[in-house]
Amino acid sequence: MRERVAITGIGVVSPIGIGRAEYTDGLRAGRSGTAHITAFDCDGFDTRIAAEVDDRRFDAGAWVEPRKMVKHMSRSAAFAVAAAAMARRDAGLGSEDVDPYRIAVSLGAGGMGPVDLDLLSGQATAAIRSARGQASDELDVPAFAREFRARTNPISMLRGLPNLAAAHLAIQQGARGPNNTITTACSAGTQAIGEGMRAIQRGDADVVFAGGTDAMINPVGVLGFSMLGTLSRRNDDPARASRPFDCDRDGFVIGEGAAVVVLERESVAAARGARVLAELAGYGCTCDAWRITDERPDAEAAVHAMRRCLDDAGASTSDVDYINAHGTGTRMNDLTESRAVHALFGPGSAVPPMSSTKSMIGHLLAAAGAAEAAATVFAMDAGFLPPTINVDSPDPECDIDCVPNVARVARVDAALSNSFGFGGQNACLLIRRW
Amino acid sequence: MSPDPQVVASELLDPVRGIISEVLLVPRDMVSAESSLMDELGAESIDFLDMIFRIEDIVGRRIPVSRWYEFVEERLHGANLAQAITTAVMVEFAERERALASR
Repeated sequence: MRERVAITGIGVVSPIGIGRAEYTDGLRAGRSGTAHITAFDCDGFDTRIAAEVDDRRFDAGAWVEPRKMVKHMSRSAAFAVAAAAMARRDAGLGSEDVDPYRIAVSLGAGGMGPVDLDLLSGQATAAIRSARGQASDELDVPAFAREFRARTNPISMLRGLPNLAAAHLAIQQGARGPNNTITTACSAGTQAIGEGMRAIQRGDADVVFAGGTDAMINPVGVLGFSMLGTLSRRNDDPARASRPFDCDRDGFVIGEGAAVVVLERESVAAARGARVLAELAGYGCTCDAWRITDERPDAEAAVHAMRRCLDDAGASTSDVDYINAHGTGTRMNDLTESRAVHALFGPGSAVPPMSSTKSMIGHLLAAAGAAEAAATVFAMDAGFLPPTINVDSPDPECDIDCVPNVARVARVDAALSNSFGFGGQNACLLIRRW
Repeated sequence: MSPDPQVVASELLDPVRGIISEVLLVPRDMVSAESSLMDELGAESIDFLDMIFRIEDIVGRRIPVSRWYEFVEERLHGANLAQAITTAVMVEFAERERALASR
């Protein structure tokens, strides 16, 4: 019989709170993390709102030893390192408790290339200066290279590689076991946690720092998603823009941050007397193999992922008390996702309450699945269902109980946490009371 | 080892100390001419890339990092580099590059 996988600690850096206590309070209070973008001048942008981490309250250097390594970290790497440190502290995991080669890292990450604003500015300025006086639109590459070389610090190029967030995490935590970065965007965080569980089940690790991180609130990130037509344009009322399952939803709000959970083999957790938050009981993953952004209308692959997850946990739909939705707030996702859960539970079976954390924290992209799994665990532990906020009129086509606006006191013994990403990746976790 | 009088007199000593202090995030008064950058001040290889980039500004010339490695090999051949690469060595390199730039 397979040993259980325990969740023994969680760390979060989010737009509604840093650390477990603040984040849980924020979820319970239905706090919105969305506001007008402060990270850069977004004048003229169609979308001028986002869910930012409060830089006045987040100091990357406080989590890094030696402090100078912060210079080599992208914003998302810094988030991940902080979340992992908080998770370890939450787990009470000491340095002698586990062989370092048995501590693995499985992290969802994104942001390929230099996306942090200062790196982007260097590239853009180089391009502009080299283009001055050019008659055509063609890039004068040698001139661009001279300008770029003159103004770009070589070490800044290290910040752009997505695998380095997990590398920094491993350095800070002394984790010498398998180290993997998962780049499936919106479902990366969920998949990273699922794959972390598999590493323990395979016998490759006893402890895994698993989660996700992302920081795409920069001109390229906001423009990119905006041009794809996926972002809310409720610029006049930012706090109320993210409204999954609502009739007037108009897209998602980009968020940023990181969440890391400590997964631990049952026997190792027991040996050190660890306090267990919950069991990570099941994981299912499929791909729509359909279109590059549109979901399968029948949501068949999403249903399959959830079913696989339940089977993996030895559970059935009747065991599920709550679903943490992908719930981006786009017109298509929320409808398709609702169809999927109705198909999973079958006609005549009531779908349990299903709410979207993205209504509060925004879409954390590669960190979303991890931040939402964290929300699910915290809520289970604290005895409430996180709400979907900004629901003025629930969309009847979705036909679900989205826990509108106000957190609800409830005992949850088992919950599904879903992520359905761009590219059709569907990932699902089952979190169960220990 | 007493500091090389040429280095102590060099007007580049202070700017180079400033660069080392910024790159390694150590207080400026911890950076003396004899401080070993790796052993004492914690530099790793990418920190040298950062330092050379900043030295380019004071020298007024692009410095391919290979020139630094060649200089170290020539000047400190056989030495324990973790100890031997000091602020003074960096100053000497900067002086040499500046002389080349003004030709």
